[in-house]
Amino acid sequence: MNSRLCNGRPAATGLSRRALLSRMGGGFGAVALADLLLQDRSATAGLATPGALPALHHPPRAKRVISLFQSGGPSQLETFDYKPLLNEMWGQALPDSVRQGQRLTGMSANQAALPLAGSVFPFQQHGESGIWMSDLLPHTAQQADRLCVIRSMHTEAINHDPAITFLQTGQQIAGRPSMGAWLSYGLGSDNANLPAFVVLITRNKGDQPLYSRLWGAGFLPSEYQGVQFRSGASPVLFLNNPPGVSRESRRDLLDGLNALHGLEGAATGDPEVEARIAQYEMAFRMQASVPEATDVTGEPEHILELYGPDAQKAGTFAANCLLARRLAERGVKFIQLYHQGWDQHGGLPGGISTQCRETDQPAAALLKDLDQRGLLDETLVLWGGEFGRTNYSQGKLEKNNYGRDHHPRCFSMWLAGGGVKGGVTHGETCPFGYNVVSDGVSVHDLHATVLHLLGIDHERLTFKFQGLNAKLTGVEPSRVLHELLA
Amino acid sequence: MTVTGRLLRVGLACVGLCSVGWRATELRGDEVRFNRDIRPILSDNCFACHGPSSAGRQADLRLDQREAAVEAGVLGPGDPQTSELLRRVLSEDPAEVMPPPEAKKTLTAEQKDLLQRWIAAGSEYEAHWAFLPVPRAIDVPAPDDSRGWIRNPIDAFVLDRLSREGLQPAPMAEKEQWLRRVSFDVTGLPPTLAELDAFLADDAEAAFDTAISRLLASPAHGERMARDWLDAARYADTFGYQADRDTHTWPWRDWVIRAFNENLPYDEFIVWQVAGDMLENATRDQQLATAFNRLHRQTNEGGSIEEEFRAEYVADRVRTMGSAFLGLTLECARCHDHKYDPITQHEYYALSAFFNNIDEHGLYSHFTETAPTPTLRLYEGDQEARHHELQQQVREKTAALDAARDRVRSRDRSTEPSMDGVEPPAAVAAYAFDDLQPSGDYRPVEGRRGQGIQFGGDDAYICADAPAFSRAAPFSLALWAKPGLHQPRQILAHRSRAAEDSAFRGFSLVLDDGIPVVSLVHFWPGNAIRVRAESAVPIGEWTHLAVTYDGGSRAAGVRLYINGRETPLHVERDALTRDIQHRAEWGDYDAASVQLSLGARFRDVGFKEGVLDDVQVFDRALTPLEAAAIASANVEPTDAMRLEQAWLADADCRAATAELQAARAAENDLISQVRQIMVMHELEERRPTHILARGAYDAPGEIVQPITPQDIFPLPDDLPRNRLGFAKWLVDERNPLTARVAVNRLWTQFFGRGLVATSQDFGSQGETPPHPELLDWLARDFMDSGWDVQRLIRLIALSSTYRQSSTPSDPSLYARDPANRLLARGPRHRLSAEELRDSALSVSGLMKPRLGGPSVFPYQPAGLWEESGTNQTYRQSQGDDLYRRSLYTFWRRTSPPPTMITFDAPSREYCVVERERTATPLQALTLLNDPQFVEAARAMAENLLQATEADDGKRLAAAFRTLTSRAPSDAERQVLSDLLRTQRSWFEVHPEAAADYVAVGESPRSGNVDAREHAAWTAVLQALMNYDECVTKR
Repeated sequence: MNSRLCNGRPAATGLSRRALLSRMGGGFGAVALADLLLQDRSATAGLATPGALPALHHPPRAKRVISLFQSGGPSQLETFDYKPLLNEMWGQALPDSVRQGQRLTGMSANQAALPLAGSVFPFQQHGESGIWMSDLLPHTAQQADRLCVIRSMHTEAINHDPAITFLQTGQQIAGRPSMGAWLSYGLGSDNANLPAFVVLITRNKGDQPLYSRLWGAGFLPSEYQGVQFRSGASPVLFLNNPPGVSRESRRDLLDGLNALHGLEGAATGDPEVEARIAQYEMAFRMQASVPEATDVTGEPEHILELYGPDAQKAGTFAANCLLARRLAERGVKFIQLYHQGWDQHGGLPGGISTQCRETDQPAAALLKDLDQRGLLDETLVLWGGEFGRTNYSQGKLEKNNYGRDHHPRCFSMWLAGGGVKGGVTHGETCPFGYNVVSDGVSVHDLHATVLHLLGIDHERLTFKFQGLNAKLTGVEPSRVLHELLA
Repeated sequence: MTVTGRLLRVGLACVGLCSVGWRATELRGDEVRFNRDIRPILSDNCFACHGPSSAGRQADLRLDQREAAVEAGVLGPGDPQTSELLRRVLSEDPAEVMPPPEAKKTLTAEQKDLLQRWIAAGSEYEAHWAFLPVPRAIDVPAPDDSRGWIRNPIDAFVLDRLSREGLQPAPMAEKEQWLRRVSFDVTGLPPTLAELDAFLADDAEAAFDTAISRLLASPAHGERMARDWLDAARYADTFGYQADRDTHTWPWRDWVIRAFNENLPYDEFIVWQVAGDMLENATRDQQLATAFNRLHRQTNEGGSIEEEFRAEYVADRVRTMGSAFLGLTLECARCHDHKYDPITQHEYYALSAFFNNIDEHGLYSHFTETAPTPTLRLYEGDQEARHHELQQQVREKTAALDAARDRVRSRDRSTEPSMDGVEPPAAVAAYAFDDLQPSGDYRPVEGRRGQGIQFGGDDAYICADAPAFSRAAPFSLALWAKPGLHQPRQILAHRSRAAEDSAFRGFSLVLDDGIPVVSLVHFWPGNAIRVRAESAVPIGEWTHLAVTYDGGSRAAGVRLYINGRETPLHVERDALTRDIQHRAEWGDYDAASVQLSLGARFRDVGFKEGVLDDVQVFDRALTPLEAAAIASANVEPTDAMRLEQAWLADADCRAATAELQAARAAENDLISQVRQIMVMHELEERRPTHILARGAYDAPGEIVQPITPQDIFPLPDDLPRNRLGFAKWLVDERNPLTARVAVNRLWTQFFGRGLVATSQDFGSQGETPPHPELLDWLARDFMDSGWDVQRLIRLIALSSTYRQSSTPSDPSLYARDPANRLLARGPRHRLSAEELRDSALSVSGLMKPRLGGPSVFPYQPAGLWEESGTNQTYRQSQGDDLYRRSLYTFWRRTSPPPTMITFDAPSREYCVVERERTATPLQALTLLNDPQFVEAARAMAENLLQATEADDGKRLAAAFRTLTSRAPSDAERQVLSDLLRTQRSWFEVHPEAAADYVAVGESPRSGNVDAREHAAWTAVLQALMNYDECVTKR
């Protein structure tokens, strides 16, 4: 309304919005529509919209998820899974008794030898809980007592594409909804002015590609797909008005459009016209709420310092972690970060040092920052990649240089916050760091646990597809990791 | 994210309630019918444990067959008191009740009541409707039609149902509304003002028919029809996994457009795509059509296991065929018997056997840019004629050489010198390793003569100065080898970039379990020569190997000499038709760096602990006696050997050989310029198909023969047990599904919803159609008409059913029948992604209506491809290609065009037969802010301001009409003129903003229009372009 006054539009056109509403009459949901149109447009805290689940299945432990996906397959042997035996047996061949017929990728299957390689980075125990971590993760180490480190993750795929698709959608082949899409579908949104599922990718990393199916809606309606927030002038595609079109001018245009829609609704009585009006109003509100959410200029110095030197460089992992916290504060349900670059087939010591330098401090800062705002208890944070890496060197094994191939049988992840025990190490691998020997956790177990923490029984968040009640965790049995819950 | 807030949730809740109410109405006074009422309950709640699948069946009870259920004693037909089924369903005891609590399914009171009534009435079963043959004739009902509403049989079925429901059809839509509707449905574009005027001016009933004929004759019709089929065929421009390289399959897309424009009968449309290559004297288009089965995603991710992915490709073909042609979820039977439909796992693999018989590999190539085999040549211009000419020259030169050789053979050679002292020719490159320094993991050791080279298995010795040879050039390679270990595979020498990572392109000499194997490969396995010796060479001993090749692209031209004696070769592949070199002009990586290499290859198994010595390369095929001489072998010359020496010495033979080589080189150069596309082509010897336990590639079980599912429609005896037989089975009129699925999809194109709403699933879990007889009548009529698509389109578009207004006579119908199942009103749904963009291009005059060709790169926000990390850069098109119809937009599967995806286009990673329609704020942002749409508004504004009388009212009315196909009401005129006034006053005082706004887009402005006025009109047109009546087909 205000915009009309601003640009001198005569107040009485005969079709003011109020008049329009009255014309549309009760059968057209006028009360609700009025409520929708008249709410404060600059508000950043929008209405909550319910999801497909009429009610949660049990009291939730977390309200939202921040997933710090480390794409490429971070080596567990240089981070969380301490295997001194590999240093003792440095250079010796991987025994067949350990390999047990595990298939290898074509990248190292034909290698003349498979020499064992221990981490060149020392490990220490940290915190009161004494969790083992390598020296590559000094900041994460300080958060040890908040972490639940799972060393016994295992997956089925040995190549990036199927493995990352499996971790993100519960199936190796394209076509399934991603975890964020499932949650967005099931839980709706806590803030209708922002997408329920936001994707943040570290800029200029390259390495293994990311595919839009990873945050896709699969067979769910496409409104549940993740919305990528990009660094730069337009965080969401086409968020900004065209050059020369101000917010006031846009408002004026939308007022005209609403008036047309009001006439159409009155003429046809078609309830879908309401949806059309709401669609444009929400878009208009998003044009304010998204820049507000993504603008970190108001963040105080000590917060920026907490996330490290990259925090003010848009598109870095540090900046995205800070952004994740801001989105969490604003009620975004699922915040998916991607950091590429963990695929160290060769030159692993150098490569993984860079990766850890980029991610260690921001990830730790995110936990601290959420905690000091009282948000960590209700926010589940996940860290990890799509598979682990071999205990033998791919390519030449040198004293300070080696590579590692993909390894599906074991890898490490950590969980923190919302309903998860801190200071816990779960699962164990063999002294060779090759096979899980206790408390193995499948990808579907992880998914079931995440859903459980959000108050959802993974067996009951379903969508009818191909005649089946399809679900994130598929048809094979999976298990909620109750022993990890606080 | 959803747009609607709690408002629409209220609406949705209402929809739920109302549909229950509607259902109750429908059933009032009706007897219970198995297919309509009971099967959905049993299928949804019981079949998973008591259905067709033997795996996991509980209590050995199946409820999908009456006989079995009666035998098990659970039904108690006619007497609900004795029915165990009913007792368990009604039980309150958690240990007794069915479905059991852990199934997390509960029956509603209404469902329990239905079961009770059904059992009381005798619990009769019906076969699933969709698996019954389409009846020979279907009675057209004759409902009371005093108002003469019925125009054709479609209307009779619809009105009959409406009468029974006590409903009236909606009034006829305005003529212009019908034209707008049918223009979008038939061509994907809105009518122009001229088309509208011409149609409105013609009062005759025949005007409708004329309009349809015009639309069907438009080339845009094929483009419109192709769009839907591209979704089903999961057509895209890239392979879709990981590195996601280009497929170069757009010529298939152009064939689809052509097929629809030529109204190819739909049965042929299917047969060509499934088995066009197997038709007698298959035309190029018939072969090209089979690319359909190669459009699935494919990987080239390094280290992938070939068979794992090949199995996935075959599965994708079965799934796509199931969804697109049969409306069946066949893929459900990949790991176990289907839980709901009569398809066993055995039958699934028997079906897959039809699609498992081409010479393909599970990985396409990383280092070469080549269509994976099998392929079809796509000649352009005079290429085909020139190719035939060059092939003829090769044949003539071959005959000339044969003649020259025959002359030598037949002349008296007794006076010629003895052949006993044949000297080996000079090598063009030779490696003795006597000065070799250790490097990588190879090192000098004692050789056959002086030093040799011993390999570690990971590092190759590069023969930097050895020349390159094309497939048309003769050459020989000779070496001494002493293997150190027994290994399943060892690479001795090769001229290639990699093994699987470049589709084995190049020449290689390998020991396979110790047996020498020689390969000359363009793309493994379909375009290659591979020959294998009969026995292994010994470990720890020196063996001399000499390979000779005559440049003739035939396995017979490859010879192998072991210790100086020619050895018989087993031919594994003999189909080399393109070059074995990496060629930069093909886009191959590292083309210049490919060199003759010894002892190791990228990601292949090296010659670990083996030794080589005296490696020599020759630029022609050695004769047997020369090969013996190099090996220092004491070979007794035969006549045949002497003859070959004589040929070598004969000037005529040498001249004829040189001419033949030149002809072959010319042919190789020409064929290198001819594009190719992936197609289907049968292997001569059937590849065995196994049942795969749990669908896993590495768990092969029993071998199955190709056959179709028994309970759907058995494969008739007179059809061959191959892909062609299968294709004919699909379109056999006794096949209960194909025609029903086809007409249902065409119906969806017009009504936005199928007669069977679950277009992809006609099985037990699919929706029971509200008009089953209409569906059957349409299917029968379609088949009887010779599968004439355009005839069916005409029938639908001219029906009164389709001509109804989308606004119902009684607004309560929105609530009573929200999805318009009963068809008491006309169709109404948002336009597709493509229609929205194409419509904007069309009304603005920006569209460049060129038919077909390579895909184009319209506006897309910068950086999307780069961010995904596939090392691909989006290079936006220039000029005309910015304004082509959307089905020509380049489709990258891992990062599809964002505007298309925002409007619910599928990713094209897998078959989708029906798109959803959502309404999200991202769509509003796109239509308002995407430069493509802003530019369209400003181009349209400029046309309006330049070409029409300077009268705001007239201009607004013209714009409104162009965008909605109707004249505005007074109220609408008022809204628009208010908006024009406020926008004018805004831009009047913000001239810089106006200049910026009208500069959006690459198309030039004329400069004749004042920027402020232009900007104000652009804003008004943007408002109109976002108006529901512009974005919705009503």
